Amino acid sequence: MNDEVYELETPANRTLLDVIRDDLGMPGTKQGCGNGECGACTVLLDGEPVNACLVLALQANGKRVVTVEGLSEGKKLHPIQEAFIAHGAVQCGFCTPGMVLSVKALLDKNPTPQEVEIREALTGNFCRCTGYQKIVEVVLSLRA
Amino acid sequence: MDKYLVVGHPVPQVDARERVSGAAEFVSDIRLPGMLHGRILRSPHPHARLLRIDTSRARRFPGVKAVVTAEDTPKIPFGPRTDDWMIMAVDKVRFVGDEVAGVAAVDEDTAEEALSLIEVEYEPLLAVFDPLEAMQPGAPLIHNKEKNIVSEFDLVKGDVDQAFKESDVVYTNRYYTNQVYQAYLEPMACVVQPDLSGKLTFYMATQIPSMTRIPYAKALGLPLEKVRVVVPYYGGAFGAKMETNLHLVAAVLAQKTGKPVRMVNPREEDFMAGNPRVPMAINLTIGAKKDGTLTGKEVKVVGAAGARAVYSMVIVATACYRIDSLYHFKNLRTKGVTAYTNTVPTSAYRGFGNAQMAFAVESSLDMIAETLSIDPAELRIKNGIQTGETSIHGWKIGSSGLSECVRRATEASGWKEKRRQKQFARGIGLACCNHVSGNRAFAREFDGGAGIVRIGREGKVLVYHGESDMGQGQNTVFAQIVAEELGVSLEQIEVARVDTDVSPFGLGSFATRGTVFGGNGVKAAAADAKRQVFELAAEMLEANPADLEAREGKIYVSGSPDKNIPFLKVAENSLYKRGGAPIIGTGFWVPDTVLPDPVTKYGNISPAYPFACQIAEVEVDTETGQVRVINYTAAHDVGRAINPQTTEGQIQGGVAQGVGWTLMENMVIEQGRILNPNFRDYVIPGPLDLPPIKSILVEPVDPKGPFGAKGIGEPALNPAPAAVANAIYNAIGVRITELPITPEKVLQALRRKNEDEKILLL
Repeated sequence: MNDEVYELETPANRTLLDVIRDDLGMPGTKQGCGNGECGACTVLLDGEPVNACLVLALQANGKRVVTVEGLSEGKKLHPIQEAFIAHGAVQCGFCTPGMVLSVKALLDKNPTPQEVEIREALTGNFCRCTGYQKIVEVVLSLRA
Repeated sequence: MDKYLVVGHPVPQVDARERVSGAAEFVSDIRLPGMLHGRILRSPHPHARLLRIDTSRARRFPGVKAVVTAEDTPKIPFGPRTDDWMIMAVDKVRFVGDEVAGVAAVDEDTAEEALSLIEVEYEPLLAVFDPLEAMQPGAPLIHNKEKNIVSEFDLVKGDVDQAFKESDVVYTNRYYTNQVYQAYLEPMACVVQPDLSGKLTFYMATQIPSMTRIPYAKALGLPLEKVRVVVPYYGGAFGAKMETNLHLVAAVLAQKTGKPVRMVNPREEDFMAGNPRVPMAINLTIGAKKDGTLTGKEVKVVGAAGARAVYSMVIVATACYRIDSLYHFKNLRTKGVTAYTNTVPTSAYRGFGNAQMAFAVESSLDMIAETLSIDPAELRIKNGIQTGETSIHGWKIGSSGLSECVRRATEASGWKEKRRQKQFARGIGLACCNHVSGNRAFAREFDGGAGIVRIGREGKVLVYHGESDMGQGQNTVFAQIVAEELGVSLEQIEVARVDTDVSPFGLGSFATRGTVFGGNGVKAAAADAKRQVFELAAEMLEANPADLEAREGKIYVSGSPDKNIPFLKVAENSLYKRGGAPIIGTGFWVPDTVLPDPVTKYGNISPAYPFACQIAEVEVDTETGQVRVINYTAAHDVGRAINPQTTEGQIQGGVAQGVGWTLMENMVIEQGRILNPNFRDYVIPGPLDLPPIKSILVEPVDPKGPFGAKGIGEPALNPAPAAVANAIYNAIGVRITELPITPEKVLQALRRKNEDEKILLL
C-alpha cells in the first residue's frame, strides 16, 4: 500500500476500508455510505478504482493499493491535487480523496479524455457541493 | 478589481491543501484515546406507546460499556424553537427512526450487535402521515396538544378580492414540493468527550456551534458553560446540520461511561432521522393587468413538520411572505399552516421555504406572461423590486441587481432567439428569486456578527469567528477580508477552527448570513487590531496614527512612501514591549435590522438582500418522458464577490442541487417508512446528469455588506425548480406542478394534452 508493504492479520469479514482507516491509521479515505454507492472510499487496486467499502481486506492481499495518502510525496502534492486546488474543485472535500483517485485512474488509461468521457469516468463518485463543473475543468486542464 | 488587493480576487480555499491531500481531519475521522463507538436503537413504528424496554441482555454482551434510555436522562423537554424533543423516547415513539436507546461499545460492530439484544415492547397507535389529514378533528394526536398544529401564519395586506376583480388575468394553481434529503457526503457525526468536572466537549459538524449549546445544555440539565462545541472539518450540511439527537445520545453515553463516545449515522439512519426539507402544498392565485402589472397574490401553504417542530414553522412562514419582497404584488392574503405528522422531522434545506414558494410563484408568472403575450423576462423586470425601495413588509432594499440579473442571463443564454425559433421538444425557461443575508426572525435573541483577530510575534494573524465553514469557503472569505483590512498577504492569515471556549458567539451559518455577518464581524475585529498596530507603529515611525496606512505587509506614512515599517516588525516590537501580550483586536457589527411585527410582519429582517435570475434549457424525450437539462445560466446579484472562485462554486453547486430536486430526488415514504434510504434508490445527480453551468456575477456593491458583499448560499438553488419547469413548458407545453418532475408525470401530462387537443377538434 502506497509503496510500503504491510503484513497484517485481520478477520475475514473486515473491509479494505476499515483496515485502511482503522488498522493502518490512514483516514484520508472516507466512508460516505458503506454500500458502494457514493464513491468517497475510492482507492486504486492494481490501478483500478474500487470502492474500498465493498472490497474485503483479504482480496487486497498481494495487490498494490493506492490511497490519497500515497499520491503526494511528502508535502509535494500530486499534479492532480494541485489542479483541484487551483480550479476551486474542492469545497467540503469529503468526496475529494476518492474523486482524485478516479481522475488518476482515468488519466492513466486515457490521457486525452473528451468531456463526456470524463463525466462517465466520474459517475461512481458523488459530489454534492460543486455540481462537478470545476472537477471536469480540472481533468480537461490535465489532458496530455 | 479596483483598489483591493485581496478582496474580489479569485483564490483557492485557504484550507484546500488539507482537504485535497486527505490530511484534513473530518468529524468522522476523529479518534481519541479510550474512545467508544455508539449506536442508536431507533423505533420501527411511526407511532406507538413504549410499554417496556429491557436492556439487560445488551448490557451483558461482551464489549458493551453502556446502554442508555430516557431513564438515564433528565427527561427535560427541549428543542430549538418548541420544546417537543426528548433525547430518547419517553412513553411514546412518533416516527420511524425516533431514538429509543443508545449503546456504547468497544467497536461499531459490537454496538450494532448489542442493539439487537435490546428488547422493546411497543403498542402500535394509529398514525397520521399527511398534514392535511393531521389537521382534521379526530386525527391521532402526536403530542400532548389539542391539535396537531405546530403554528399558523396569517397575513392580509390591501384588498386581494378587489384587486382580482380589477385584474385582466387571475391565475390559480396548486403546487406540491416534495420531501428531499440534503445528501451531504459525510453523514451526521460527533465525538463527545467528557471531563472530570462534568464538562462535555462536542466535536461535531454543526452550522450553529454557539446556538446549539442552549437547547443541548437544557436537555442535559447542564449549565451552558459545561457544553463546549468544537467544529472540525465536516462534509457538507446544506441546512441539515443543526440540532440532532445523535449528538445528545452520544453525550449521555459519554456521561455514563466517562469516555469519549463517537457516533456516526449509518447512511440509512441519516435518511430516516436526518433533517429533510419541509414538503409543502401550495395553493396560489396571482392577478395581473393587461400590461403585466401584478395586482395581488393569495396563497395557502400547508407544510408537514414531521414528528417535531424543529424550524418548520419558520420555514413555512418564509414560504408565506419572503417572495413578497421580490415583486410588487400590492395586495396580499396569506395563510400558512404547519402540522405535525408521524414522519421524520423536517427542517432547513438550502432555500428555507423560499425555494418551495419560488417554484410556485415563478411557475405561475410564466403562465400569466403567456396569457398576456408578454416576455417572461419583461414581466419580472416590470414588477421586480429596485434599489432604494422599501418592500411591502418593510424590507429596505439597499441594493437590487434583479433587473441586471435578468438582462445578463437572457443575453448570455440566447433567450430571445431561442424563445422565437423554437425547436421540437426543446425549451428554455427562466426564474428569479430574492433572498436574505441573515434572517432577523430566525435567531431572535440578537442580531449581529463578531470576530477576534490575534497578531503574534511572527506577524501571523489568527482569525476567530463563530460561524461555520461546511465547505462553502467561508474561512477563505474571512481570511481575505482580514488580509485586506490589515494590508497583509492572504498567506499571513490563519483561520482558527470554531471552539466555543474561545470563539465569539456567532449565530452560525444559515440564512445565507455567513459572509455578511461573520465577514463584517471579522472586518471590525481587524479594524480594531489595525488601530492598535497603528498606535505602536506611530511611535516607531514618529508619526501620527491618523496619518498611517497599511498595504502589502507594511505600515506607511501617507504621502511619504519611504517612511514605512514592516507589519512583522511592529508585531514583534509590541510583544516585547508589553510582556509578551499579543495584539488582540475584537470587533462586532450590529445591523439595523428590525424583527417583524408578530401581526403585520412588518420589519426589516436582513441587512442585505441578494437576487438572481436563472435560465434552464431542456430537451424532452417525448417517447420516454425523460427531461435532460442541456444548458444552464445563473446570474446572481452577490453585492460584491469577495472570492469569485468560491462564489462561482456556490452557484454551480446550488444549481446542481436544484436540478436534482426538480428531476430526480424524492424521499418515498409509505406508512411513515422511507423506502429508499440509500444512494442506490435515492439518486442524486452525478456528473452526467448535469449541464455546463454558466455563472454570471452581478455586483451592485451593497451598502451594508463587507466590501459590498451579500450572501449566495441559498439563492444559488432557489430558482432552479421553476426554471426547469418553465423550460419544460416551453418545450412541450405541459405544466408540471408537483415535484419531482419524473418521466411518468411528463408522459401522463403529454398524453392528457394530446387528448385535450383531439377533444377540442370534435
